[in-house]
Amino acid sequence: MTTDLHQEHIDNSAKALIKADNLIAGYFPGVPILNGSDLYANEGELIGIIGPNGAGKSTLLKALFGLVKVWSGEVTLRGENITNMRADELVTRSIGFVPQNNNVFPSLTIEENLEMGCYQDPSKFVDSFERVSSLFPALKDRRKQKAGSLSGGERQMVAMGRALMMNPSVILLDEPSAGLSPALQDEVFIRVKDINKTGVTVIIVEQNAARCLQIVDRGYVLDQGQNAYTGTGRSLANDPKVIELYLGTLAKS
Amino acid sequence: MIRVFQIRRILKSVLLSTIFAIYIGSGASALDGPGISGKISDPDGKPLAGVAITLANNENTIQGLTDATGAFELAAPSAGKYTVSIDVATLPAGLTIAEPGPEREITFVQGPKVLIFKTQVGTSADQVAVKRDSKIPQLVVDGLLFGLTIALGAMGLNLIFGTTGLTNFSHGELLTYGAFTAWTLNYLVGLNMLIAVPLSLVISAFLWGWAQNRYLWKPLRRRGTGLMAMMIVSIGLALTLRYSALAIFGGSPRNYNQYAAQAGLDIFGVAITPKALIMAIIAIITLAIVLFWLKNSKIGKATRAVRDNPDLASATGINVEKVISYVWTLGGFLAALAGITVGINQDVSWRMGQILLLIMFASVTLGGLGTIYGALVGAITIGVLIQLSTLVLPTELKTVSALFVMIAILLFRPQGILGKRERVG
Repeated sequence: MTTDLHQEHIDNSAKALIKADNLIAGYFPGVPILNGSDLYANEGELIGIIGPNGAGKSTLLKALFGLVKVWSGEVTLRGENITNMRADELVTRSIGFVPQNNNVFPSLTIEENLEMGCYQDPSKFVDSFERVSSLFPALKDRRKQKAGSLSGGERQMVAMGRALMMNPSVILLDEPSAGLSPALQDEVFIRVKDINKTGVTVIIVEQNAARCLQIVDRGYVLDQGQNAYTGTGRSLANDPKVIELYLGTLAKS
Repeated sequence: MIRVFQIRRILKSVLLSTIFAIYIGSGASALDGPGISGKISDPDGKPLAGVAITLANNENTIQGLTDATGAFELAAPSAGKYTVSIDVATLPAGLTIAEPGPEREITFVQGPKVLIFKTQVGTSADQVAVKRDSKIPQLVVDGLLFGLTIALGAMGLNLIFGTTGLTNFSHGELLTYGAFTAWTLNYLVGLNMLIAVPLSLVISAFLWGWAQNRYLWKPLRRRGTGLMAMMIVSIGLALTLRYSALAIFGGSPRNYNQYAAQAGLDIFGVAITPKALIMAIIAIITLAIVLFWLKNSKIGKATRAVRDNPDLASATGINVEKVISYVWTLGGFLAALAGITVGINQDVSWRMGQILLLIMFASVTLGGLGTIYGALVGAITIGVLIQLSTLVLPTELKTVSALFVMIAILLFRPQGILGKRERVG
């Protein structure tokens, strides 16, 4: 980790809603994937995490949500230490998480999937269902359909909808555009922006770095489990080093 | 013309053949060692006096006649294998003994047995003609009753598999221990069955279901034990529990001290005991409640969500361990009900769970692993199939037919009858 970036992180993150300090984490003992990552998000921000394959983008997101064990470092939400907390307890504390794969319950209907989203407080269902179906109108008409019969893009909508049912203050999205056609990818990015506009803080991990940097407020470029660059979406998208190393020809064109 | 003639004969036999003969339970019998007792009456229920009965083995032959009330009682000099036969010539003209005929093999382990001989109008030639056809309704009904019992056990097995991925080889012992819990309360403590059964269902749900998960499976899951290792643990647990039951309760089959022997009812030519009928109704109501609960309740939906994807369920805010805990409690309850049903209809033995386990596995596989209705549909199908297989296969092979179906299903429709292939992407 570059000390400058870490100092900058400490200076700026005092009032952050969610914050990760100097995370070291991995799946197998002795093989860390994160080598001291920092991240913070202020209330209402849209944060992007990009980087090459194997940089630890998804691992960072999972570490925030307690799905990967954090060996050292700390994750806090509004100052409360939530490091390694169980996922369902994090949902109680208003964090939502949408995994990249297998992100719907296939044998449940769309409606039941959304019901599971507010499992901890079913009284929220009616209001939340209205709110979510205004973001994703297609879901309302097909509420009785089994989620297992949906296409990848439709599943992504259900998954994001479900994560929003508890009215979370932060939502973590793991590569929502992966495996989708370019048209559907655009659709997903528009939806993510829409969700953020409703006041929800969003942290998004993306393979499609160029597209991601267009919509985010701030971005983190990860390399080998460390923060390589941070900055606003626009500044990163225009940074020659970032373009050279991570955006490649796609961004130049 | 031949066919009309045959149908008339069948109809005549089916209509005229009623039950009878029968019964009388423990209190009325003076026998306290090996021996047989029972009662013989004509199809209208009138007792038949003076019917000759013989109880014989290689060494001894004991003969007796029914008294004025149609009752008979023969003491055997020792335990072992005997042949019981009724001298058909001493029956009133035109009457025969219904299936399985006037001659029976019987083995005494300890204590007396009650034998049921039904009489029916007709000659033995008639009997042979209608034998196969009139058997089918009876076999189907027997199969349905058996299938419902299996469904209770298979439902729990399927739910536990679905939510935890555990192939639980010790599920059969949940049936055994449920049945023995009721036997302890009923026979040893002396509680009436109407109290002992509900009480043992609750005890079994918490002790054999909830506590087993809490103190064995949950710690194993927390340690990240693999599914294969857990399956081996379940095999070890099954053996431990099975032989513990043998050590504690002994090897001979036990009966509850109520409802042990009961006169059969004749419903459209199908014999069914009131106790079997009542247990079947209880099973149907229980299964309906469980299915409704899975479909509509909050925990039921969460159970299906956990079955679909435990990690996602957790990330969605569901406390997965809590759901699994509910499932084990329910599994213990359902298995105990299945075990007690078998105990009431047949007897309670240390090996009962072992025998039923493979049939439950076959049912779950047939219906579709992890699907809600799978266990029910599979169990009913297997139950009927096992009974019907006795038409063409020797009785000894009837369980084999269930396992054969399981193998065939795995070859040709691995997702089971109700299982669906899922859309990918």
